[in-house]
Amino acid sequence: MGAVTAGLAGCLTRENGGNGDGDGDGDGQLEIASYTSFVEGNFEDAPSPAEWLTEAFEDEYPDTELKWTVPENGINRYVRDAKQGNEIGPDVYLGLNVDDLVRIDETFGGQLFDPIDRDELENVDRVRDDIDFGDPDDRVIPYDTGYISLVYDESAVETPKTLDQLLESEYESEFVVQNAQRSDPGRAFLLWTIDMYGEDGYLEYWEDLQANDTLIGDSWTDTYYGPYDNEERSVIVSYSTDQVFYAGGDLTRHQVAFLDGKGYENHEGMAVFADSGNAELAHEFMDFALTGEAQAAIAEKNVQFPAVADEHVDLGEDFYDHALEPDESITFTYDELEGNLSGWVDEWGRTIAQ
Amino acid sequence: MSGGNWLERHALGLAAALTAGALVVMLYFPIGVVFANAAFVEGVPTLEPVRDVLTDPFYVGSLAAVFENPLAIGSHIGALADWIGSSSISPTVVTPLPGIDLPLPWLSIQTPGFRGGLFGFTAYQATLSTVASVALALPAAAILANYEFRGRRTIRSLTILPFVLPGIMVAVGFYAMFGQAGTLNSLLGLVGLGPVPFMQFSPLVIVILAHAFYNAPLIARITVAAWESIDTRTVDTARSLGASRRRAFRDVVVPQLLPAVLTGALLTFVFTFMTFPIVLALGGLELATVEVWIYDRMRQLEYAEAATLALLETVLSLALTYVYLRYESAQTGLARVDARTAREPLFPDVRTALSPRRLAIGCYGVIALVVFVGPMASLVVGSVTDASGFTLGHFSFLLERQLDGAAFQTRPFPAIRNSLLFGVGTLALAVPMGVVVSVLTARAGWSGTIVETLAMVPLAVSGVVVGIGLLQGLVFGIELPYGWQFEVTGPVAIVVAHAVAAYPFVTRNVSPLLSNLDPTVVESARALGASRIRALLDIELPLIASGIVAGAAFAFAISIGEFSSTVILAGGTDAYTMPVALERYLGRRSGPAIAMGTILLFVTASSFVVIDRVGGRFER
Amino acid sequence: MTELRLESVSKRYGANEDGTAALESVDLRVRDGEFFTLVGPSGCGKTTTLRTIAGFEEPTTGTVSFDGEPASGTKPENRDVGVVFQNYALFSHMTVAENIGYGLQFLESEGDPSSDRRIAELLELVDLEGMGDREPDQLSGGQQQRVALARALAPEPSVLLLDEPMSALDARLRESLRRQLKRIQERLEITTVYVTHDQEEALAVSDRVAVMNDGAVEQVGPPETVYRDPASRFVAEFVGDNNVFEARVLESSAEETRVEIGDRTFRVPALEGERNLERSGERGLERSGERGLKQSGKRGPEQSGDRGRPSVADRMTICIRPEHLSRTASTNRFPVTVETSEFLGPTVRVHGRWNGIPVVLALEEVPTEELTVGFAPEDARLVERSP
Repeated sequence: MGAVTAGLAGCLTRENGGNGDGDGDGDGQLEIASYTSFVEGNFEDAPSPAEWLTEAFEDEYPDTELKWTVPENGINRYVRDAKQGNEIGPDVYLGLNVDDLVRIDETFGGQLFDPIDRDELENVDRVRDDIDFGDPDDRVIPYDTGYISLVYDESAVETPKTLDQLLESEYESEFVVQNAQRSDPGRAFLLWTIDMYGEDGYLEYWEDLQANDTLIGDSWTDTYYGPYDNEERSVIVSYSTDQVFYAGGDLTRHQVAFLDGKGYENHEGMAVFADSGNAELAHEFMDFALTGEAQAAIAEKNVQFPAVADEHVDLGEDFYDHALEPDESITFTYDELEGNLSGWVDEWGRTIAQ
Repeated sequence: MSGGNWLERHALGLAAALTAGALVVMLYFPIGVVFANAAFVEGVPTLEPVRDVLTDPFYVGSLAAVFENPLAIGSHIGALADWIGSSSISPTVVTPLPGIDLPLPWLSIQTPGFRGGLFGFTAYQATLSTVASVALALPAAAILANYEFRGRRTIRSLTILPFVLPGIMVAVGFYAMFGQAGTLNSLLGLVGLGPVPFMQFSPLVIVILAHAFYNAPLIARITVAAWESIDTRTVDTARSLGASRRRAFRDVVVPQLLPAVLTGALLTFVFTFMTFPIVLALGGLELATVEVWIYDRMRQLEYAEAATLALLETVLSLALTYVYLRYESAQTGLARVDARTAREPLFPDVRTALSPRRLAIGCYGVIALVVFVGPMASLVVGSVTDASGFTLGHFSFLLERQLDGAAFQTRPFPAIRNSLLFGVGTLALAVPMGVVVSVLTARAGWSGTIVETLAMVPLAVSGVVVGIGLLQGLVFGIELPYGWQFEVTGPVAIVVAHAVAAYPFVTRNVSPLLSNLDPTVVESARALGASRIRALLDIELPLIASGIVAGAAFAFAISIGEFSSTVILAGGTDAYTMPVALERYLGRRSGPAIAMGTILLFVTASSFVVIDRVGGRFER
Repeated sequence: MTELRLESVSKRYGANEDGTAALESVDLRVRDGEFFTLVGPSGCGKTTTLRTIAGFEEPTTGTVSFDGEPASGTKPENRDVGVVFQNYALFSHMTVAENIGYGLQFLESEGDPSSDRRIAELLELVDLEGMGDREPDQLSGGQQQRVALARALAPEPSVLLLDEPMSALDARLRESLRRQLKRIQERLEITTVYVTHDQEEALAVSDRVAVMNDGAVEQVGPPETVYRDPASRFVAEFVGDNNVFEARVLESSAEETRVEIGDRTFRVPALEGERNLERSGERGLERSGERGLKQSGKRGPEQSGDRGRPSVADRMTICIRPEHLSRTASTNRFPVTVETSEFLGPTVRVHGRWNGIPVVLALEEVPTEELTVGFAPEDARLVERSP
């Protein structure tokens, strides 16, 4: 039936026609939805995290098959489907952060993901104590974490040390940041400014940034490929692992600055869709993702930091030569974001756009 | 004499019914599903969402007060008078390029206290973009239509190439061309100039230039088609009656070109009114348009607000389209579509090459090279360089991905193949659809204008609305009585969706030519025994081949460039296209995506040349 | 061999029944093999009539029939007509031969190898031998029109329809082409309907002429009859030059009628019902239909047969052809003040006035400023009575 459907523009089917659901429950196939770079990879000469996981997992669990899918608009696709009562195809979503979770709960009243059955996860205790989504329903298992920081060109500007410094003439027409409505690092930076200046002061800070000719671009790729790569801007909001991609080359334009010694920490997690019929296999997969081997591979190939404590992963010292960690990190918990996030972003958007 | 079989006699009616069916399923139904959110809250009809938007100064600026209290006309007029009284326009001198002391006259407009809101700004930038696009397009059209030179046909075929580039590639191309480390500054550096921070002059100007990059070629293409159909004998007649070259141009050529130029301007306005990724990428959120907010509201699942914004956007675009079409139908058919145009050689000899006219053409050529070719050439250069210089690494990555990629990964070859298949399928479907709509609406008067306005809906509806509508309505299936379910996905659905998006271009290219065609030519064929459909195929279509070829090229371009419905209808299948593949290759390094963008450019460029050459066989 | 008939054909444009009428109850019969011309000023409905016959327009009411077969609902391609338009309407993307051959493919014997021979025959018929490979653009206007004619004749239609085919050509070419057309028409004996606004052309080529005005037929008859005995003031004025006078009847007898025009009394022929009918040149359906309906607004149907002697003080319109006004005539004389004169070769056309009424004369030499002319009573024609 599936093949026929794919070939036709319109297809009339009749429900209760026997085993209509081709994605049979309990079989060995696990469908995982994720984002493009996790599936397609970050390096031209190395497999993507998804490729590595697939191979390793299928070796470990014969008779299973991992299938990856990249939905347009990320998790939003499934929130929309769930809201309409449509069946959700994949079993696992990999690539959630805490603001996604808050947004899901703000826009969709029902249950998109099931709570984790921690008893099924042998390796769950390895996760670093400070990596916690703070989710009241305990739906997410972290698989890696990363730090949003500034990346700058040391030949063009002084090392930026504080948020306030970005308002100085040294950085006039030099700073570029992403759109908090649509970009994870952009939203992280916005939250950072809220953490720093408070709900009442952050908009004023952003108006000052605008006055200093800061470019508030769109996605990370837009801002990095465009103004930053072409030397139009010398300071950008990016990831603290930036140098990993340029190791062995000229790092002048890939200096990492942690303002006030901090970075905004962004945990990435995975969760099991409530309507998945494959929760058991999903848990096996998540547990596998927390093994030392998988954690090292995810960290290297996804260019983030492991979610498990150092003693449970062997990453080799040179990993940390270019993947830099701040002394301190800031992050908003579920409780802090709940009921506030969309309001903060909306206010911010209206301030910038006028 | 027999009138052919049943099928032949009803061919036109059948084609019209199929077109209507495709439109209903792939367009009107999905957008209806979304727009319903603006008019119904929990199933109850309401004006609440519309009122909310219209009274929000963020969206409509100073007009919010008017909508708040629409009947207080007196006080609104008073406020308007005060505002006009306190506004002023004064000529000033500005030096737009930092670092270069080049003073330019500029009209500075002071309008205290007026806020245009998101809609006002969107209309403002669309107007400026339209003016800039027309200004850049007309010289190109004039040169392509009136001068003969090597590569003229190829350049004409390639004019709409920018049209297929995803927004991010245009943004990257612009930075790679005009950035401080960009191609233009490297060239200026060779002669000891610069670097000039072009991109920092004004984000608005950069955005307008990028809009012109997209749309000027479109205006040029439509205008060239019209220009080539002007009978040079009418110009000769005017000149023999004593008109100067300039006068003959004004009195004879301009009136015949105007509908084409205005068509292009209308399309440009509608497109730039709904501009989205390019404004954010080049201008930033400060230059946000209505479309940016539609996406944001959709993302927040605020459907009522999103649908209302999208509906207002569509209504404004359609109103403008209707006004234009009324104007167009009021024009009498002047052009003879079977005309032959005599072109002069561009540079016949050195002396002519140094004439003021040729020098002006040369100057324009340089501008066109910088604005149109520059960003694309810079992309191509970017695909074969990295920090250490020349490299084929990005392409070898694509090759490896093709050969060794996992089943769930995106491979370049299927993307190229799908793009071409969908493009050809779209062309094959959109051309008949567009022609049928033209045939039915041309000479149908007032009702024809309404139908043709509705036929333009695909261009006037925000892409996200169609996408969400498809998802809500069709991809997951519509429940029908007795347990039946109707669902729409897969390659054929993609082609139909592309054709629905593309056929207005065919109609816009074909309609003016068709209504200019002498009706007695068709009647002669009918009297000789040809059915309506045979007369269309044998007589009308060959006579308006230039418009059909232009429309076919546009249809192909729309299919190649289309993103949102493709990705939705492709679902988890392998029906992804080149822009989708490009999007998936956007990683922490730009190389693979830019390499894919380069492949997209070359594949599309070759296709355009092929379409034009094949189509040219039918042109005279 | 086809007889064409239009019965009570009306055509209205607009949404409802009282939209603008383009044709008002037209009845016509075109005989088999006849060269029949529709003539009238622009907007009179002649082209609409032709388009209705071709099937490009459907009549609002009434029927068009070919040999007694009603053609309602029959599409143009199934009507067996050939059409030639004013602007030739050649297919500019085809050669001359392809143009001529276009209609042959739709005949029953499609792909008949004889079609090349047929094209050659037609080229010869219109004196364009060897021009088959030319493109229409390479031909002169007259040649293009002959290609259009050959193309229309190629499928051997039973009716040939020509819509102002000559009006884009210069005068001399027009004359030679219409002689050629007439020759071909006679040779093929094809039923032909010819539309023109040029009454001279209409008189020159036609077997019979229908003069149309305002969507209705004013008069049908052979050219001589229409010229000599116009059935209405409109026909009198439209066909050829004419002098039209409003007259008041003073006295009417079996021999003659005495009328008053201005301050003078004139003698004109007697009024007789039979003579009126005979003069209009037609009998039967066509005749009564045309006149009765055209004048139905002015005169009730019960009056239409009442063509007896007018009572004293009846008003009527009389006309006299310029060539019947002579300086030597002994009767019905009146003075004319000359305004302009045009030298035409054999004659001089003189425009002048009498009592403020425009007068046109055909004289043999350029006249003096004032002259007196007269006419024989039998040369005057009574065309219309106004109660």
